[in-house]
Amino acid sequence: MLDAMPDPKPATKLVQVKDLKMYFPIHTGLLRRHTGDVKAVDGISFDIMEGETLGLVGESGCGKSTVGRALLRLYELTGGSVTIDGDDIAKLGAEALRKKRPTMQMVFQDPQASLNPRMTVAALIGEPLDEHGGMSATEKLARVYELMDAVGLNRNFANRYPHAFSGGQRQRIGIARALALNPKFIVCDEPIAALDVSIQAQVVNLLEDLQEKFGLTYLFISHDLSMVRHIADRVAVMYLGRIAELSPREPLYAEPLHPYAKALLSAVPEPDPEHEAKRRRIILQGDVPSPSNPPKGCNFCTRCPEVIPMCHEVEPDLLEVRPGRFVACHLVKPETKTPAAGSTGRPEVKEHNQQGEPRI
Amino acid sequence: MADGAKPVLDVRGLQTVFRTRGGDIHAVNSVSFHLKPGELLGVVGESGSGKSVTMMSLIGLLPMPPAEVRAGEVLLGDTDILKISAEELQKVRGRRIGFVFQDPMTSLNPVFTVGNQVMEPLRWHMGMNKKQAFARAVELLDLVGIPDAARRMKDYPHQFSGGMRQRVMIAIALACDPEVLIADEPTTALDVTIQAQIIELVKELRTKLGMAIVWITHDLGVIAGIADRVMVMYGGQVVEQGPVAELFANPQHPYTRALLKTIPSVTGERETRLKVIEGQPPILGAAPSACPFMPRCAHSFARCAVENPPRRPIGRAEVGWGHDVACHWDARSGGPHA
Repeated sequence: MLDAMPDPKPATKLVQVKDLKMYFPIHTGLLRRHTGDVKAVDGISFDIMEGETLGLVGESGCGKSTVGRALLRLYELTGGSVTIDGDDIAKLGAEALRKKRPTMQMVFQDPQASLNPRMTVAALIGEPLDEHGGMSATEKLARVYELMDAVGLNRNFANRYPHAFSGGQRQRIGIARALALNPKFIVCDEPIAALDVSIQAQVVNLLEDLQEKFGLTYLFISHDLSMVRHIADRVAVMYLGRIAELSPREPLYAEPLHPYAKALLSAVPEPDPEHEAKRRRIILQGDVPSPSNPPKGCNFCTRCPEVIPMCHEVEPDLLEVRPGRFVACHLVKPETKTPAAGSTGRPEVKEHNQQGEPRI
Repeated sequence: MADGAKPVLDVRGLQTVFRTRGGDIHAVNSVSFHLKPGELLGVVGESGSGKSVTMMSLIGLLPMPPAEVRAGEVLLGDTDILKISAEELQKVRGRRIGFVFQDPMTSLNPVFTVGNQVMEPLRWHMGMNKKQAFARAVELLDLVGIPDAARRMKDYPHQFSGGMRQRVMIAIALACDPEVLIADEPTTALDVTIQAQIIELVKELRTKLGMAIVWITHDLGVIAGIADRVMVMYGGQVVEQGPVAELFANPQHPYTRALLKTIPSVTGERETRLKVIEGQPPILGAAPSACPFMPRCAHSFARCAVENPPRRPIGRAEVGWGHDVACHWDARSGGPHA
């Protein structure tokens, strides 16, 4: 069928995330006792294939940036494992982790805040080379120029300071920094959110070119669903610390399965008045609950338009309901495909029925 | 006037300059537009295009100096509000023109209760006593969809979520039943699902109350869904203006055309590569003698460098009523405009 996407490349898993948990403790009272946790990320698992772009979308506070940071161990994980290129990041010692850092880099949201205003562009881009490279001054300068060419910055500006650049150019400096050590995996945390519409496209095209040229793997975190559709191969939709749906791009946008993914996609305004007039929007009621006190059962049950009693009791698992599509919802059952009832179809169906059948 | 109704707001030739040590910045250059009763005018542009400064300068919200409104008139009904005194202008702001700003957290006062802030314009402009103002404020909060309004009156802004705070801001703006509501990027700081809630609310309030609205945004998608008419700004000028369906179906200015192409779609065809507008937005150092979009324009020719194009009508109606564009290039013939 349409959504039966055959795997285009013999993919190896570059990043494997298993049951990742990231809790931030809450301390209250005079004695600052540990009274609870903000469960920013509450047990999520996914893989990213080599050369792939995984989009991670969700509203603010759903934990998508925390996932990005936890993957690079910018936080100490509360639980679970993150395996990047063979090593479990969560368990590496300080020195081993430092050795590992060149393979995994990050592009930050706000290029204004993430670049030191007192350093020149050459110094900014050269800093990772100082830390990890052990290059001579001439080698380093050559590499800085090479990187500036790669991201489309004029070499003549190497001695200027970040304030002399526009937002889009600053983001290019941030990307050059991330590229400096030939990484395999880059976490892009809302890299275009702070940019103007006409500049966003420039940066996204640059990221795509670089991916092709250097064979990079991206985790692209964004709240802009239309841009994610453009850049990502597969998309994970997060809600309140968990993955609601993880699907290849086209089937997700054509037919979202999880009620939250449906609502989220229907809320995106389209620049087409005719289409907008005809469109029926799913308006979610209320706000996202606090991650320090998530609802019992399915975390979306308080706002879900299709909620059933079971949702308040049982937490749904993320199951493969269509080939390659994972959904965490009691209402979405694995498809019993009759035409494809071959050798692989049968046992799979049986297995999911045991878990997915509502007991009402 | 072409279609009868007298505009509630008529801005003519507005020019705003910021005087800085590095020289003058011409943020708004002879901007003219009007707003008919009950109409929703969408103003689109990138940051620095002058859309917010235009709205701020017409109700005197810019710090002067460094800002300076050099020319123009702003007719609200029959009065030119650029000419009236500061005290008189204060009676216009909040009373006849309501304002909703982008970030509801910074525009609400954190040390006063929400009720207090909704009651303020009622007490100040409408001369209500405390009891009347309280009753009306509860009504207003109810109107903008805040559940359990009477009890929430005593809460402080930090006890509200982002979407709820923006509802409070809308309630304050609507308190005195203004003729014009100016909403400056009211949903930009909100998540898409909350943005959809606020847009539905505004649509509903329009049919109930029928005020005219100016909605500033950089999101063409939002505009497509709610506006009657759209004004596109670039480099401190209005480059194109027209009814929403017409403008999206037949964009005339190269900037509008390019902008519409750079946005990827959620539902339509997926482009393998995004179209880009090369280059950077202009820095408005001098009063423009050339078209501000010229350095980034794919259709520019010699005349664009020497003459800033005036707005010219497309089709029948006179400038300002139908569809108009400020460009020397003619999108329909694909060559210079005669």
